Parts: sequence; structure tokens; C-alpha cells
Amino acid sequence: MRTALMTKTRTALMRTLSTRSALGAAGLAMMVLGGVLLWGQATHWDVLIWLAGAVVLHDGLIAPLVLGVGLLLGGLKNRGLPRGALLTVGCLVLIALPLLLRPLPTANSSVLPLNYVRGLLICLAVVAALAGMIGAVRWGRGKVNNRKFNGG
Amino acid sequence: MKPRLPAVRPPTFRGRLHDARTATSIGRWLGAAIAVCFGTGLVSHYLQHPPGWLADDLPSRPLWGYRLTQGLHVATGIAAIPLLLAKLWTVYPRLFAWPPVRSVRHALERLSVAVLVAGAVFELFTGLLNTVQWYPWPFSFVPVHFAVAWLLAGALLMHIAVKYPEIKAHWSRDSPGTLTLPAADGPDRRSLLTGVAAAVGAVTLTTVGQSLTPLKAFDLLAPRHPDHGPQALPVNRTAVAAGVTQVDLSAYQLTVVGPTPYTLTLDELAALTQHESVLPIACVEGWSKSAHWTGVRMTDLLHRAGAPPDARVRVVSLERYGAYRVMEMGREYAHDPLTLLALRLNGRVLTPDHGYPARIIAPNRPGVLQTKWVSRLEVL
Repeated sequence: MRTALMTKTRTALMRTLSTRSALGAAGLAMMVLGGVLLWGQATHWDVLIWLAGAVVLHDGLIAPLVLGVGLLLGGLKNRGLPRGALLTVGCLVLIALPLLLRPLPTANSSVLPLNYVRGLLICLAVVAALAGMIGAVRWGRGKVNNRKFNGG
Repeated sequence: MKPRLPAVRPPTFRGRLHDARTATSIGRWLGAAIAVCFGTGLVSHYLQHPPGWLADDLPSRPLWGYRLTQGLHVATGIAAIPLLLAKLWTVYPRLFAWPPVRSVRHALERLSVAVLVAGAVFELFTGLLNTVQWYPWPFSFVPVHFAVAWLLAGALLMHIAVKYPEIKAHWSRDSPGTLTLPAADGPDRRSLLTGVAAAVGAVTLTTVGQSLTPLKAFDLLAPRHPDHGPQALPVNRTAVAAGVTQVDLSAYQLTVVGPTPYTLTLDELAALTQHESVLPIACVEGWSKSAHWTGVRMTDLLHRAGAPPDARVRVVSLERYGAYRVMEMGREYAHDPLTLLALRLNGRVLTPDHGYPARIIAPNRPGVLQTKWVSRLEVL
């Protein structure tokens, strides 16, 4: 009985290990293929610089910025709502940056046809309004609950 | 006495939610998004650059196939931006692990994570800039985006293999690893995940209307809008950019080369039996829109040239410059009854930017292969 259980456990462990190894090996093979494809490009050194630049951009600029904002928010009692709103606003600004910063002219008038400053401002206003409404509802509900609690 | 320098110490993180449960919760959505991007990217790549053995077997159905896969490619790429940022925020303290390298194994693990982070940020960044046709880098976008995609997908598989026990231990709310974390963090974690979901929803809703046309009213931050363009259909390459405006179109003739070659003027083309197809233009940059096209069936043109039923076609454009001046069409596309040499768009004669006098429209194909300003068909 006990040996049977041990064999079963060992088989399960072996299966997990072999699945993991297969996954890892497949990943390594795909990375090698990617590396070979990349090395085939005459500009591979430029690509490597941009790849490293991607890490520097995130780890050196975006992450510290976000952490800084987080530090300011950390003391708030109900930080969930402002955090969610700021996260949404930040991502909307991020995807709007290429639209706003791309040098003009574009290839034709159907590329970037909209007024993106206006679009972004509408988006930010909607997020602010929604967050304000949710906050007000929560605040109101909290007051009612408090009164109930105190009264009962 | 020796001057003593202040010891360099890595920063410490006292904030909550830099834990494995949060990383697993966000990571699996990010992983799914990257998998969709990779899969749809491969579909797009092989539809645009089919190896010879595949060219004749590429299916022309479903007719909305490429519209769906490429729309998904760009939409999941955009949705992955909040997911990636949230995931990297969660694991950011690990960047400052001390000592930086503990063993060879640890060094390799960190190296693979570096490739993963670099690849993910790089792919989302270059992909997003490609949708606005902005190329500020000194390499060509398509082959590099393709190569780094393999690097990223490989690094992701490797990461899943390395982290498998931790992922398993934090997969659900009741998993053993999750239960060892402070229970007080639960509501805050769910609130963070709701915030990430809100950000994903916001970036998706404000961009997806460029391909999911029923949502076009919310298209505020996409590089394209379904209603903006000549004949209310966006274009990529204009007649001016292709150098077609310098060609004298009054002498236009379509030349068909095959077992029984022939030529047709535009009037003669318009006098042939006209058919209507409702087919989308779906661009590699993610936008797409369906339209009504009227013209001559490709099968009719091939039949008239005495082409065998398994013939492929080479299509040549009047355009002076461009990598897609000559396009080849596999058997499935060439013999699909919906494939047209179109003369009209939504009931009106094509404008120059949509390929006047005649253009190809075929189901389930990338926009760059819907050749405009067609002057010559060669039966292969």
C-alpha cells in the first residue's frame, strides 16, 4: 500500500519534471532560433542596443516613476480606487504618446485622422468622472453602514 | 586611517503585493496575451511570406480569418501593455536581489528573465509604433519584430518551466503557497487586479474600434478610424506614393498571360459579367473594414486565358516603387469565387488611392497583398 503510494508520487514527480524539462528545452530552442534570426540581420548590434534600452527604459524610468507615485499614495486609507484610476490614466497616456509625438506628415490623411489631444482629454475626463462616482457611492454607502452600526 | 565609503545597499521594498500570488494572477493573463500575439503573428507572417510548399495550400476561408487574427494581434498587444507594466511592478524588487548572483544556475535564470523583459518591452514598443507607421530605429521592423518574437516566446516558455512550482503553489486562492501569504493582503490584491482589468478595458475600448467596427464610436485613441479615408475606407499606400499618378491611364489595358493570352481595355473589362463580393480590407497594422466590391471574377479571367484548374497567378501592378508591386496568389485564393478584379467600391468607381482602374480583392488575405492598379495577370 505504502510502496504503491510512493511509486505513484514518484511517477507524478517524474512526469512534472519531464514536462518542465520539455518546456524549458522548447523555450531554449525557440530562443536559439530567435537569436539566429536576429544575428542574420545586418543591424543586429543596433537591435541589441534597443533591447537593452527597453530594459533601461522600464527599470530605470517607468518603474521608479510608478513607485514614486505609489509612495505618495501609500499612506491613503482607501488607496484601491485612486490606484486603479491612476493605472488606467497612465496606460491611456502611454498608448496616446505615439499618436501625439509621431512626426508629421503621415503617409495619407487616413493615418492618424483624429484629434488625439481631444480624444485623450475625453478619456481622462471619463476615467476621472467614473472614479469620482464610484468613490462617492462607496463613501455614501460607508456612511449609511456606519449609522446602522452605531444605531444598532 | 582608511577613508570609509558608505556601503552601497540595494533598496528595500516595504510595499505590499510584490508576492508570488499577485505575480501569478497577472502573469497568466500576460502569458495568454503573449501567446495570442505570437500565434497570430506567425499566421500573419506566413500569409505574407509563404514558403513555396505552403503557398498553394493557404486557405481562402474563413473570409474574415485574417481580419480576426490580425485584429487580435494588435488588440492583445495593446491589452498586454497594462498587464506587462503591472507584472513588472510586482516583481520589480527582485531586480535588486542581493547578492546579485548566487550560482551559475541563478545567473542563467536572471539572464533568461532579462531576455524576457527586454523582449516583451521591445515587442510591445515596436509594435505600437508600427501601428502609427513610426520607425525611429536603425533596423527594419518586420524581420526584427519576427526574430525577437521567437526570443520572447522562448524566454516565456523557459520562465514558466523555471517558475513552475511557484506558479502551481499560487495558482488559486486556496493553493498552498497563497495560504502562506498574509490573508490581510487579499482584498488589496483583488483591488489591484480590478485596477489592472480597468486599464486593460480602457486601452482596449478606446482602440479596438479600428477593427471591431461596431465599437467605432469609442475609437478615440486608435491610429485609424473606419470612417476616415477616401470612399469611407482607410488606405495605406496612395496613388501618389506608388507613383501611379505619373502613368497615362487613358491607354490602360489589362494584359493576361496564359495558354491563350489576351488584353482588355477598361470598357471591355466593365462589359464582362460583374459580380459583387462583401470582403474586408484587413491591414497588418491592425485596422480593418468590410466593403462591397464589384468587378470581374478571377476565375472567369483565368478560364478565358485557358488556365488549368490548379493554376496560380502572378499579379503585376502599375506602381513604380514598392516591395508589393508584384504579388503571387496561391491556388485557393485564385479559384475562390469571391476573389475579384474589382472596378468598384461600395457602388462607385474606385478612387486612385483605392487602385483605379482595377484592383485585387480576395478573402482571408493581408491588405498589402490586395494589389492595387493591376495591369497584368500571369497564369503560373
